[in-house]
Amino acid sequence: MSVAWQFYFSTLLIYLAVDVMAVWGLNLQFGVAGISSFAFIVFQAMGAYTASVLTLGPEQGTSFQHYVGGASLPFPLPVIAAGAAGGLLALLVGLVGIRRLRADYQAMVMLVISLTATYVADNSTHLFNGPAGLSLVPKPLFGGLNLSLVNYQWFYVGLCAVFCALIWWFVRRFTESPLGRAMRAVRDNEHAAAALGKNVFGLRMTAFVAGGVIAGISGAVFVEFLGAWSPGSWLYPETFVFFTAILVGGTGNNIGVAVGALLVPIGFLESTRFLPNVGYPGFVDALQWVAVGVMALIFLWFWPRGVIPERKRRFPQPGEAPRTIGRRLLRSRG
Amino acid sequence: MSLFVASLGFGLVTASILAIAAVGFTLQFGVTNILNLAFGDVMTASSFIGYIATTNGVGIWGAVALCALFGAVFSTLLNRLLYTPFVRHGTKLFGMIVVTIATSLIIQNTIQAIWGPSFFSLKFSPGGSYHIGSMVFTSSQFGIMAIAVASMLGVYTLLRYTKLGKAMRATACDPALARSCGIATDRVVDVGWLVSGALCGIAGIALAMNVTSFTSTTGGTFLIAIVAAAVLGGVGQAYGAMLGALTIGLSSEVAAGVIAPSYKQVVAFVVLVVVLLIRPQGILSEVAEAKEVAA
Repeated sequence: MSVAWQFYFSTLLIYLAVDVMAVWGLNLQFGVAGISSFAFIVFQAMGAYTASVLTLGPEQGTSFQHYVGGASLPFPLPVIAAGAAGGLLALLVGLVGIRRLRADYQAMVMLVISLTATYVADNSTHLFNGPAGLSLVPKPLFGGLNLSLVNYQWFYVGLCAVFCALIWWFVRRFTESPLGRAMRAVRDNEHAAAALGKNVFGLRMTAFVAGGVIAGISGAVFVEFLGAWSPGSWLYPETFVFFTAILVGGTGNNIGVAVGALLVPIGFLESTRFLPNVGYPGFVDALQWVAVGVMALIFLWFWPRGVIPERKRRFPQPGEAPRTIGRRLLRSRG
Repeated sequence: MSLFVASLGFGLVTASILAIAAVGFTLQFGVTNILNLAFGDVMTASSFIGYIATTNGVGIWGAVALCALFGAVFSTLLNRLLYTPFVRHGTKLFGMIVVTIATSLIIQNTIQAIWGPSFFSLKFSPGGSYHIGSMVFTSSQFGIMAIAVASMLGVYTLLRYTKLGKAMRATACDPALARSCGIATDRVVDVGWLVSGALCGIAGIALAMNVTSFTSTTGGTFLIAIVAAAVLGGVGQAYGAMLGALTIGLSSEVAAGVIAPSYKQVVAFVVLVVVLLIRPQGILSEVAEAKEVAA
């Protein structure tokens, strides 16, 4: 492979890893716990911002960019702090948004939160440096490793894989446990779950904050690679792309949504990258957004459960022997 | 003090536009149970229709009428051809939000694909300015306020004194019961979308008249204030939305004038958060409670 292609593929893999982490986080909030989390991108942006300022170092008096709390922490620390920041913001948003609201009403409230966050970030120059955002964020471990640019790309791909594995483990801790079962119960029938003594608000909040932590980490991994952050790249339609990925992949299914992340943000948005740019700059982008909207509508109509639907979980009736043990017994006999 | 009074003047104009939009938004929810988040983008589309009309020599009043017609027809078609089929198909509440946001993205980006990301302004003369105390109004701003008062009176008369309005209120409260009382709810819903769509179209051109320039995202940003006003008044309640619009319009412009211009949208947002924390179903809450949006 030529160097240019290596660059392209490694970059694509990094984008994929970030998107897969993000949809796992959103799937935990929406697919598992049933929260219409249309402010998801804000948590990712928050994590990315935290990671940038903690890598950039203290603000210089003559600097062209303004931010708060600058520090230059060694590599994994900014990412961990980003997770904490994402979770904290999710907690605050959750206190407003996770009440007993109807799903669409909640989605509307979250959407407005996302719109307002963009507006605030654009207008507060001293906190977020306004629409220009932050740039020149140093890449983690770049100086110490002495790798060529291409090899550093592959190194970062490996780093992303490690983060993905960690997040996969973290997400499975929720989904494959009694806690995840309780969350799904709250999603499917809030009143029944409450009647069985489940703490509806607590379960939703747990899923929401955990999703916020994952969002923050994914944002940090992304911004440490890109080296730049601006409010304009974290707008609410990006949340919609993640939702489309989840709908396409299969709501509530971790593998399904990862496939969705491969198909929608990566496959769909990247495949049109090589189209000749006709018209004014931004024309193809606008058409892409139209296509994403149409795609969401098509999937919602024809395959509302996605390409890999959530598996139906079966539990033995009281008195009925668990299936696996029964099979084992048969095998030992015969 | 004069700054305060001057910003109250701006607030009255903003509240007028907001009232038209919020009443339209809330009526759509009331009669059809759909939170149409593409509302802001239909407003933008109608701003652009107004732009085409005024650059081709149509007078501003003609353009307002044209925009009302466009908004009414476009919104009704949107409901008939997209939203209702999805509801009949069995798409649930969250699914419908995905549908309306997808629609919003499609409309917004189609506009951007056609006109590009540049700034536009209506071609008309805002007229001379008049001073009332330290408030300054142009004649076009008087026009906007007159349109708002006329539309609010129109909506009030429709809902309060006509049989159709009674049918609309009945449908909003309990569609099944309304149907069993012999109300043709499908037709009532169509009328609801026609009326609210017309309000949406008028709000779109009124917004374009009041700002110096607009882009393909102007209506989408205005959605923050619309939602805040509608939720404050109790979503689905036309009079509540008027009240909400007045509160949000005045307080956001006063904050913008007295504190800093960038606080304009933040005030709307803070009001929304406070309402959600204290009384999520809004001030007037019959419809919101009937539809169980919040508890």
